Amino acid sequence: MHKKDKMSYLSLPFSIFKLHPKALLLEWNQKPSQELLIEIITFKAELENKLKEISQITIGYHSLLIEWNKKNLSKDFQFSTLSIIYFSIDFKKPNSNRHWKIPVCYEAEFAQDLEWLSQKLNLSPKQVIEIHSRGLYWVCFIGFLPGFLYLDGLDSKLFFPRKNRPILKVPRGSVAIGGNQTGIYPEISPGGWHIIGKTPVTLFDPNNKPYCFAKSGDTLSFKAISKIEFKNIENKIIEGSFKLT
Amino acid sequence: MIEIINSGFYTSIQDKGRIGFKNFGVPISGAMDQHSFSWSNRLLNNLTNSAVLEMSFKGPKICFHEDTFIAITGAFMGPKLNGFSLEMNKPIGIKKMDILQFGNAIRGSRTYLSVLGGLQTQKILGSRSQFKGITTFERISKRTVIPIKKLSFNLFKGSVIKHTMINFDKNILTAYEGPEFDLLPENIKHQLSFKKFHLSHLNNRMGYQLKEKITFKLPQIWTAPVLPGTVQCTPEGKLIILMQDAQVTGGYSRLLQLDDDAINCLAQKGTNDLLQFRIKKLT
Repeated sequence: MHKKDKMSYLSLPFSIFKLHPKALLLEWNQKPSQELLIEIITFKAELENKLKEISQITIGYHSLLIEWNKKNLSKDFQFSTLSIIYFSIDFKKPNSNRHWKIPVCYEAEFAQDLEWLSQKLNLSPKQVIEIHSRGLYWVCFIGFLPGFLYLDGLDSKLFFPRKNRPILKVPRGSVAIGGNQTGIYPEISPGGWHIIGKTPVTLFDPNNKPYCFAKSGDTLSFKAISKIEFKNIENKIIEGSFKLT
Repeated sequence: MIEIINSGFYTSIQDKGRIGFKNFGVPISGAMDQHSFSWSNRLLNNLTNSAVLEMSFKGPKICFHEDTFIAITGAFMGPKLNGFSLEMNKPIGIKKMDILQFGNAIRGSRTYLSVLGGLQTQKILGSRSQFKGITTFERISKRTVIPIKKLSFNLFKGSVIKHTMINFDKNILTAYEGPEFDLLPENIKHQLSFKKFHLSHLNNRMGYQLKEKITFKLPQIWTAPVLPGTVQCTPEGKLIILMQDAQVTGGYSRLLQLDDDAINCLAQKGTNDLLQFRIKKLT
């Protein structure tokens, strides 16, 4: 290997790990942060744009997995293309991230754990709702279930460990708190988070583009709505006249 | 079309899987044993991504409502056509109203049934593989009716390729060192290579848990990408091998990564089967 190439690999901020003959894992040697995630998201977009050899890319808090559509691409090809693309990116360029306001009904019918959780947190249900809906959340990535957003930004006043025993059927659209995270269940599924509300909004629709309105890097906040507003939005969604902003 | 009279233990429509939608949290899905799956299509000269039926542990009873050709590969489930034993691994002509019945898997765990031209259910996100929240149904049930291609008047010539079958006795899985492998002390690395592990009853299309634990406390990691074949280790030392329907990211340490043949081999195992890893470094 040429000395010069080696040097440039060494100055990359991530380590390169061959996970599988067709997959390369890049891992940044630093704690997750918004800046890091923006860097990863930007890098991912550039790679997808420039390399036709890529089958798909998955990201995590401080890593990125490239799956190639060919087996055994040479190490030199893989490493040098990654460095060339990485160093050609202008990470300061403004991005196209959006903000979304998610309507949530926090009323008892949809919030089976709100009362209990509030007591445990030494807050009133009203305070929990207030803190949860004034927060600004950041979409890190989508995983766990199709359309399940990993959100960052929950107020530490609302941190609470997950249930010891997950329940089998968390209703679709449930807004919940688990550990230091909050999230929305896109589909009915088993789950161990505490349910504090419900959104009528569809998080994932495999039959309609863009499948999920949000993407990594977007921001999101929750807006408290009444049961009547919930029903109204639900009806509009069925009619196809609801537009999330 | 074909009609499912009874569904067996767990039967679903599968193809190569859904590629390119991990960004939305959509698993790959697809046939667990991609080797047997591919052969079932090759025997009929089908396109390589044609959808087939994947049957697990106990197969279904099926009625054909039109003439077609089929091929059966993978685990032996004692297939019978109108009550008579049927050969596997070759193209077979089917007449309207024929009844095909499978029993319990005797060798292996998963059987693949391909139909000429492939099963014609709706493709969603580029695949017909059934998965909860993506396809209308997550698996096949009693009375399900599946559209198939009309047999054209061109006489179908069966493929005569000799095919390599999965070795059901093989229990050595080739695995590469995973990203967190080096967090392990030498004695545990040694255990992973030389110990024999049993498959627990907790095994399904999402993942297989092993009975034996490792005696080392590993930290959880920042949620990171995983693949089918990733061997995860929970903080209690439980080992979980992810399979086709696994989620796309995970928070457990990734000790090993199975190679593709090892995944196919594992897909044919069942509860209490013995396994051993042969660990290689990928360069």
